Amino acid sequence: MNYIELASEFAPELILTIGALAIMMIGLFLANSQKKVLGYLATIFLAVASLVIVYRGIYDIQMEGILADSLTIDPMSQFFKLTFLVVSLIVVIASIKEYDGHSNQDEYYTLILLGTIGMMVVASAIDIVTMFIGFELASLSTYALAGFNKKDPNSLEAAVKYFIIGALSSALLLFGLSYIYGMSGGLTNISELAVFFNNNPAVLQSPMGIIALMLIVAGFGFKMALVPFHMWAPDTYQGAPTVISALLAAGSKKMAFVAAFRILLIAMIAIKIDIAMVFMILAIITMTLGNVVALSQRSLKRMLAYSSVAQAGYISMVFVVMSPEALTGGILYVMSHAFMKTGAFIAVAALGYMLLKENSNAKDVDHLDNFAGLGKRSPFLAFSIMIFLFALAGIPFTAGFVSKFILFLSVLEGGFYLLVIFAILNSALSLYYYARVVKYMYVLPPSSDEKLKVPGTYAVAILLAIIGVLAIGIVPEPFINWAASAANVLGL
Amino acid sequence: MAVDNIVYLIPALPVLAFVLTLAFGKKLPSGGGYIPILAIAISCIISVMAFLQIYNTGIPIEVSAHWFSVLNVGILIDPLASVMLMMVTFVSLLIHIYAIGYMAHDPGKPRYFAETALFTAAMLGVVLADNILQFFIAWELVGLCSYLLIGFWFRKPTAAAAAKKAFLTTRVGDVLFLAGIVILYSSMRDVFLERFPAGIPDGTYLLQFSTIFDNISHIDPTNLTIITLLFFGGAVGKSGQFPLHVWLPDAMEGPTTVSALIHAATMVTAGVYLVARTFPMFIASPAVELAGITIPATLTVVAYIGGFTALFASTMGLVMNDIKRVLAFSTISQLGYMMLALGMGSVIGVAAVGFAMFHLINHAFFKACLFLCAGSVIHSTGTNDLREMGGLMSKMKITGITMLFSSLALAGIGIPFLKIIGTPIGTSGFVSKDAIILEGSYVFANVTHDWIPFAFGVLAALLTAIYTFRLWFMAFTGKPRQERHPHESPATMTGVLSILAVFALVFGMLTFIPFNIFVGHTYDHHEIEELAGLAGNHVIGHDEILDIAHHASPIITLLPVIVGVGGLLLAWVIYNRRWISVASIGNMRNPLFKILAKRYYQHEIFIELISLKFTYGVLALAGEFSDRKIVDGIIDGISSFIIGGAEVLKKIQTGVVQNYATATVLGVGLIALILSLRWVI
Repeated sequence: MNYIELASEFAPELILTIGALAIMMIGLFLANSQKKVLGYLATIFLAVASLVIVYRGIYDIQMEGILADSLTIDPMSQFFKLTFLVVSLIVVIASIKEYDGHSNQDEYYTLILLGTIGMMVVASAIDIVTMFIGFELASLSTYALAGFNKKDPNSLEAAVKYFIIGALSSALLLFGLSYIYGMSGGLTNISELAVFFNNNPAVLQSPMGIIALMLIVAGFGFKMALVPFHMWAPDTYQGAPTVISALLAAGSKKMAFVAAFRILLIAMIAIKIDIAMVFMILAIITMTLGNVVALSQRSLKRMLAYSSVAQAGYISMVFVVMSPEALTGGILYVMSHAFMKTGAFIAVAALGYMLLKENSNAKDVDHLDNFAGLGKRSPFLAFSIMIFLFALAGIPFTAGFVSKFILFLSVLEGGFYLLVIFAILNSALSLYYYARVVKYMYVLPPSSDEKLKVPGTYAVAILLAIIGVLAIGIVPEPFINWAASAANVLGL
Repeated sequence: MAVDNIVYLIPALPVLAFVLTLAFGKKLPSGGGYIPILAIAISCIISVMAFLQIYNTGIPIEVSAHWFSVLNVGILIDPLASVMLMMVTFVSLLIHIYAIGYMAHDPGKPRYFAETALFTAAMLGVVLADNILQFFIAWELVGLCSYLLIGFWFRKPTAAAAAKKAFLTTRVGDVLFLAGIVILYSSMRDVFLERFPAGIPDGTYLLQFSTIFDNISHIDPTNLTIITLLFFGGAVGKSGQFPLHVWLPDAMEGPTTVSALIHAATMVTAGVYLVARTFPMFIASPAVELAGITIPATLTVVAYIGGFTALFASTMGLVMNDIKRVLAFSTISQLGYMMLALGMGSVIGVAAVGFAMFHLINHAFFKACLFLCAGSVIHSTGTNDLREMGGLMSKMKITGITMLFSSLALAGIGIPFLKIIGTPIGTSGFVSKDAIILEGSYVFANVTHDWIPFAFGVLAALLTAIYTFRLWFMAFTGKPRQERHPHESPATMTGVLSILAVFALVFGMLTFIPFNIFVGHTYDHHEIEELAGLAGNHVIGHDEILDIAHHASPIITLLPVIVGVGGLLLAWVIYNRRWISVASIGNMRNPLFKILAKRYYQHEIFIELISLKFTYGVLALAGEFSDRKIVDGIIDGISSFIIGGAEVLKKIQTGVVQNYATATVLGVGLIALILSLRWVI
C-alpha cells in the first residue's frame, strides 16, 4: 500500500489532524471576540470527516494489514468512528455559544479534535501498542478538557480526579498488556495473538494469564466506568463543563468498548469462561448500583453520570453472552447511548447557559429545582429533555428501546436468565428517576415566568441528537443491519 | 373501505388535541377544553362508524405496518375492541364536557385538559393495539398519565404521595406483564424457528395477537401458564385486584373527574380488557407442575382472585366515610366481578368474555355517573365526608335522582323471572351482575361442583347494596349536618349526569342479547373449544348454559335480587329510619367494625411490625413510612430500602480521590476473587 492509498483510507483522521493544527495556528491571529469562527471551522472539519466515512462505505468495507498490521478498516471501526465523530460534532456545535468570547477557544477545539483522533485510532487499532497510544491521546486531551473552566474549582477538581484515577488505570492496563506481550513471546497483533492463544490455551489459563485479564479488565473498567472503577465518573461528569461531560460519557467511554471487543473477544477468547464470569458480576453490580444511586440524585449531571454507569452495565452484558446477536445489540446500544446521552447533557448545558446569562451568580444550575416548570419557560428544551430521558429509560419509538430490546433479548436467548431479570428490573427502576424530571418540568410551577430562549447553536446540536434518537427508534432496521455487520467482524 | 383508512384518527385526534391544548390552552376560553371535546367527539363518531361496518360485514378491521425485524405496529378493531372503543370515547367525551363546569375555577385547566386528552389517546392505544408490545406501550403511557393526574393538585402532599404510590404499585404489575411478554416472545420464536429452520419468513409478526392465537397449541403448556399468570399479574396491578389494590383508594386524591374517567370507567378496566383480549391464551393454560409445585390453571386463579377481591373490597366499602373512597372500594369490588366472570371461561367459554365486557361497559356508565354525582356533591358542599352531608335531596334534585338511579344499577336492583324477548328487566347493573352470578358462577358451580366463586359473588352483592345505599341515604336524606348552603351544579354537569343515569338504567336491558352475540363473535367458538381442550377443560355451549341456568331452583334465581333488595332495606333501616343506632354498631368497641375501619390492620401488620421493626431495627435504614396499608407497606418498604440504600451508597462517594484509587485497587482484588472462585470450582 503506497502513501497515497494510505492517505485516502485514513482521510478522516488526516482531515481532523489538519483541522486541529489549522485551528491552533489561525487562533493566534484572532481576537477573542472573533475566535467563534474556530468553532465553525471545527464543525466543518468534523462534518467533512463524517461524510468521508459515510462516502467510503460503512457496511462491507474490509481492509487489513495497514501500517505493518497495526490498523484495520472494517464495519466495526467505521461504526465506532462515525459515532465518535457525530458526538464530537454535536459537542462542538453546542460549544460555539458556550465558549463564545473565551480566550482559549483555539486550544479547546484543538483538544476536542485531537481527542477524537485518539478515539478513532482506537477504533481502527488491531495492535495492542497502537491501541494504547490511541487511548492515551484521547485520555490526555480529555483530562485537559475536563479542567477547561480553570476558574471553577469544581472543574479543576474534576480534572485532577479524572487524571489521577486515569493514570492509575492506564498503568494497570499497560501492565496487563505487557503480560500478554510477554506470554505470547512478543506478539502485539490481535489476530496473531488470537491464533497463538487458541493454539496454546494453557498459556492464557495459567495464573499469569489470569493476572493479565484482571489488570486489563480493571483498565477498561475505568474507561467504561464499571463499578467499582466508576468512582471518578460522577465527580468528573458533574464538575467538568457540561458539554465535555457529553464527550466523556458518549465518546471516550465508548472507545473502551471497541478496544475491549477486540482484545477480550478476539485475542483472549481462549479464556472466554473467565471473562464471562468476571463481567457477569461486574454487569450486575454496575447496573444495580448505577440505578439505585441515581434515584437519590438532585443534580441532573450527577444523575446522568450514574445513569451512564448503569448503561455501561447493560452494554457489558455483551462480554457475558458473547453471541453475534448480543454484540449487535451492544454495538447498537453504543450508538443509541451516544445520541441520548450527548443530547441530554447538551440540553442540560443549554439550560445552565441560559440560567447563568439570567443571573451570573447562579450556583448549581443543574439542580433538579431549576427544571421545575421548564415546560412553560422553554417548551422546546423541556420536550427534548423528555425525549432523551424517555430514550434512556427505554420507551418505545426511541433508540433506547430498540437497542435495549435487541440486547436484552440476546441475553435471554443466551440463557442468562438471572442477568436478564436484573436488567429488566433495573430498567423498570430507572424509569422512576427519569419520570421524576419530566414531572418537575411539566407539573411543577416555574420559579419565574420569564421565557427562556435557547440559543441557535444549542438548538441545532439538540436537534441533531433528537434526529438520531428518533431515527434509530422509528426506522431501526438499517441501523440494526449495520450493527450486525460490525458485529460480524469479530467472527463470534 | 373508507373507515379502514381513517381509523388511525381515533387515537391521533386526541394526541393532536393534547399538543394544541398544551401549546395554546392558556389563551383559550375554558383552558382550551373545547379542543379535546371536539377531537374526542370525532373519535367517537369514527368508532361508531367502525362498529357499524363490523356489525354489518362481520369482518374485523385490521391495519398493520412493518416496524423492525419481527415486530409491527397496527390497529385491530374486532367486536371486543369495538365495544370498548365506543365506551371509552363516549364516556371520555361526557366527562370532558362535565369537566368544563367542574374545573371552571381551577387555574390549572389547560394542563388538566392536555393530560386527559393524552390519557384518552393512550387508552385508545390500548384498545386498538393489534399486538401485545404496542398494547404494553400504550398501557405504560396510560399509567404515566394516571400518575400525572392523581398528582394534579401537586401542592397537596397527600396527592403527591398517592401519585407515587399508584405509580410504584402498578409498576409491580407492569414488570410482571413485561416478563410475560418476554417469555411469550421467546416461546413464539422457538415455535417459528422449529417450523422454519431457515429463518422466520418476512411479514410474520411474532407478537401480533392473530399470530399468537394461531400458535397457542405449539407453545409449551408450562410456559403458557407462566405467561398468562404474568399477564394476569399486570392486570391485577392495573385493575386494582387483591393484593395490588392498595393504590386505588388513595388515587382518589386526584380531581373527581379523573377518578370517574381513569379510576372507574377506563384505565382500571384495562386489566380486564387484557385478559379478555388474550382470552384464547388464558383458556388454553392448564394447571402445571413446576419444580414440584402445582400451579393451578390461570383461569382458576383469575376466578378466585376476582371473587375474593369483589368480596374483600366491598367489606371495606361498608365503613368508609369519604364519599369517593366508598366508590373506590366499590370499583375494586366490581372489577373483581369482571375478573370472576372471565374466570368462569373454563366452563362457559367465550360467553365469559361477553359477560365480563357487558359488566365492564355497564359499570363504566353507572360508576362514572356515581363519581360525577359525588363530584357534583363535593363541588357544592365542599367536603368529601359523608358524615357532614345529609338532606341534600331538597337542594340538589338532579344530582340526587341521577345518583339514585346509578345506585340502583350498582346495587343490581331489578325484576327477576320477568323476561321480555329473553331480556331480563332491571337496571344495567342488575342485568350484567345477574348474568355473572347465574349464567356464570352458578353454571360453573353446577358443572365443577365448586361453589366458592358463586358464594363470593352473592355475598359481595349483598354488601354492595348495603354500602351503596348507606352512601345515598347518608348524603341525600335526613337532616342537613352542616351550615353551608349547597346548590345545584351548572347545566354542563347535570346534563352529563342525566345522560349517564339514563344509560345506567336502560342500557343493560336494551342491549343484553345483541351485545353478547356480537362480542361472542370476537373468537371462533370451535377454536375456543379446542383451546380449552388443551387445558383439559370441556366448554359447554350457549344452549346448555341457558338450560342449566333455567333449571336452577327459584331460590338461586332470586338470590341476587334478594340480597340486593335486602341490602337496600338494611341500609334504609340503619341509615334512613335509624331504627338501629349507627353508633351501636359503628363504634370501635365492635370488633367487626373496628377491623373493617382499620382495613384489616394492614397498616399495623405491615408498617409497624414488618417495615418498622424489621427495616429500622435490623437494617437500620431510615425511611419515612407515611402510609397505611399491606402491599403499600411492602412497596413503601422496598422504595425506602432502595432510596435508603442509595443514601448509604452515596456516602461511599466521599469525593476523596485517594479513596477512589483504593476502590480501583480493591476492584482488581474483586476480579481476582471472582476468578479464583472459578479456580476453586
